[in-house]
Amino acid sequence: MAIRAVSHDERSAFGLLAGLVAVLMAVTAFPILYSLWISLFAVNLRRPLRMPFVGLDNYIAVLSSPAFWESAGRTALFSAMAVAAVLVIATLVAVLLDQEFPGRRVLSACLLIPWAIPSVANGLMWKWIYDANYGALNGLLLQLGFINSAMIWLGDANRTLPLIANAFIWKEVPLAAILLLVTLKSIPSDLYAAAAVDGAPAFRRFVAITLPALRPGFLLVALYEAMMAIRHFDLFFLLTEGGPGGASDVVAWRIYVETFRNLSFGTGAAMSYILALATLLMSYALIRSMAEKL
Amino acid sequence: MIVPRPIGPRVVRAAILAAASVLLLAYVLAPVAWLLSSSLQTEREIVSIPPHWIPDHPTAQNFRAIFATGLGLAQPSPNGADPASGGFIPSVAGNLLPAMGNSFIVATAVVILNLLIGVPAAYAIAKIRFRGRGVALYAILATRVIPDIALVVPFFLVVRKLGLLDNLASLIITYLAITVPFSVFVLASFFEQMPDDLDRAARVDGCSRLQVLLRVFLPLARPALVAISLFAFLASWNEFLLALMFTQTAASQTLPIIVAGITSDFTVSFSFLNAAGVLAVLPPVALAVIFERYIVSGLTAGAVKG
Repeated sequence: MAIRAVSHDERSAFGLLAGLVAVLMAVTAFPILYSLWISLFAVNLRRPLRMPFVGLDNYIAVLSSPAFWESAGRTALFSAMAVAAVLVIATLVAVLLDQEFPGRRVLSACLLIPWAIPSVANGLMWKWIYDANYGALNGLLLQLGFINSAMIWLGDANRTLPLIANAFIWKEVPLAAILLLVTLKSIPSDLYAAAAVDGAPAFRRFVAITLPALRPGFLLVALYEAMMAIRHFDLFFLLTEGGPGGASDVVAWRIYVETFRNLSFGTGAAMSYILALATLLMSYALIRSMAEKL
Repeated sequence: MIVPRPIGPRVVRAAILAAASVLLLAYVLAPVAWLLSSSLQTEREIVSIPPHWIPDHPTAQNFRAIFATGLGLAQPSPNGADPASGGFIPSVAGNLLPAMGNSFIVATAVVILNLLIGVPAAYAIAKIRFRGRGVALYAILATRVIPDIALVVPFFLVVRKLGLLDNLASLIITYLAITVPFSVFVLASFFEQMPDDLDRAARVDGCSRLQVLLRVFLPLARPALVAISLFAFLASWNEFLLALMFTQTAASQTLPIIVAGITSDFTVSFSFLNAAGVLAVLPPVALAVIFERYIVSGLTAGAVKG
């Protein structure tokens, strides 16, 4: 069927798809191409009339800047911490919700609360919890006797990234747990029954049956959460603004500063492109490495 | 000799499940409970050490101040005590209700556009054979790999050129990029599960494609429609980055923008800050808890396919 007339069905399909295609062209394809174009110019809103073509100079400038690589390292560290913790906690939550017990429905309804909370409110909430003077974290740890004097949590460069990651993890665990629960439900129950007959203890059953069966779920969650963590901006803006002393200056924050504070749109666009490509490469590598083990 | 009865494995299991449930509930609810508790305290109480986990004298004055100034019944009064003790009302207090209105308008418009665009497209992808159908769904989903922050620069330049800065339309249009791909994905997965015979029978009866969609598929797709409406609403209600770029005045600022401004405003009392947080959290959390079943099945539909 080398040459085929457009069938009646195809015509109606294209009609039904027209709205979607128009929207995706306008708000996705066009901006992606436009930002590629911008990234080849020295665009600076402070000098709007001069917009010289600079080729790949923006990319070279970004990639040869040590500060950019330090930010990239922070993004990688933040993402690794976040994804690992989300996977572990969400697995435990999913295993719990996979059991039958009274109150399970209430529990899974409450689980959606962090997922639904706006990231700005999440940031406000954790900033207040971490507050050095009146925050709940200091209050709780002092009352329990774990610390003797109030700590400056977010102001400590060594603690900033893990603490921001903690706020991120809290919000991301519910979705990850729901996705893992779907995979858990697909495990045939006779597998467990057979293992129980063989006398395998619960922990052995978990390692031998549950964990391997969860692999596709792990891949999906790791992929999604890594994408979310790499691009995450809101909590960095709300909690620390890249501080203290650049300790939370991740790539997403750097793009924001470069674009909207330094008004260097060309550099900002080049950096966004590098981030997008890195995300793509990361997704590809993750799929390849985890698909091999499936 | 009395032998102690061995604790049965069922009791152990129940104990472990109960302990794990309490732990999870505490993990999920404690931060939110602290936010709520703080919003109901006076400034004098909120700075007590150790913190009062449950307020001694709960007060709704913060919320009263937000509603009174938002409805124009009271003026902000930047002098005096904190709003929870009466008197002082920060000047941003009056912006919270209008911002909530803006958030509501944007989210509702995005939901309607998602349905208008997503339903026909998902039906076509699920039930009509056309060239490129196999990759269409994945191509649509792949657009979400691009970080939002990479779209910000081109969006900003276009929005500025169109004169739509500080206009709700800029948010409504750009939020489609965030929401439509997922809506189409969830709906198409749902439509695909419906038998093709349903489609064929109606077509034999002389229905056009559009009629089949409207009369046969839509009524059956209610749960999926509820789910994607909720996703689009929550995503729009919660979105921060694009709103931060495109809005400049209270005329178009959405709730997250006003709340973020309060977070970094050192003149606002801690208890008022938390009240603003509660205000932003309440609508999405209520929707999520009420429609939990639809949300979970919608997310699940997306996951099983992907």
